[in-house]
Amino acid sequence: MKIIVELYGATKDLSSKNFLEIDIKNNSTIQDVKFEIIKFIDKKFEGNKNLKQIIESSAFCSENDKIISENYIISKSQTIGIIPPIGGG
Amino acid sequence: MLHTKIVDSKRGKIDIVKAEKFLSSSKYGAIIYFIGTVRNLNENKEVTGITYDSKDSLVLKSFEEIYKDSEKKLNIKDKAVFIEHIKGYVSLREKSIIIGVGCKHRDEAYQLSRYIIEEIKKRTPIWKKEHYSDNDSEWLKGVSIQQN
Repeated sequence: MKIIVELYGATKDLSSKNFLEIDIKNNSTIQDVKFEIIKFIDKKFEGNKNLKQIIESSAFCSENDKIISENYIISKSQTIGIIPPIGGG
Repeated sequence: MLHTKIVDSKRGKIDIVKAEKFLSSSKYGAIIYFIGTVRNLNENKEVTGITYDSKDSLVLKSFEEIYKDSEKKLNIKDKAVFIEHIKGYVSLREKSIIIGVGCKHRDEAYQLSRYIIEEIKKRTPIWKKEHYSDNDSEWLKGVSIQQN
C-alpha cells in the first residue's frame, strides 16, 4: 500500500515535491517507514549520513495532528508528517 | 485569552501594534513583549536571512497546549497571551516571533513570557534554514520533539 509522508524542515531536501510516496506492507509501523526512507536515502543520496541522522532523530505525526510512536501501526493508506528536530522562535 | 497566528512572509509581517491592541486592557498592570529577530552572525557565519518552515496545524495546536499548560505550571489565572510566528523568508532585523503577555503583576508576566518562548523552542514544529553571505544555506540543527 502507498502512503504519503509530508516533509518538513531539513527533510524537504529529500524531494522537490515536499512529500515522499512510500510503498509499505499493511500493518507496517513508523519504524518500518523510517527504514524505507533510509533505503531511499541510500539509493538517491548515496547514503548521506546527515540525512540519515535526521530521519533517525525525527518524530512523525498522524493525519489528525498527533505525534505518533515508533510502534504506531499503519493499517490503511494515509498521509503522515515527518517532524525532524525543531528549532523555531 | 489567547491569540495565535502563523504569518506567511509573502503576505504580511508580524506587527507589534496588533499585539498592543490585543493586550490593551486595564486588567493588566504588566505587559511584556518578547520579539525574536534575525541576527547577522551565527557560529561565525554571516547570516543574510532565514527561511522558516512550519507544520501550521501542529504549531497552532502547540501554542494552545503551551497556553493551557502555563496555567498548571505557573498558576496564573488572569492573563492574555498573543503569539504570532512568521513562516517563509525573512531578512536581517525582521521579526520572526512576537510573544505578548498581559498579567496583573510584573513577576507573573516575566515568568509567563519566558515559559512560553522556552516551551516553543522544545515543542513547536518550526524549522530554520539560514542563508549566508557566500550564498550557502543550511537547515539548523534542532531538538527532537517528544511524543506526549
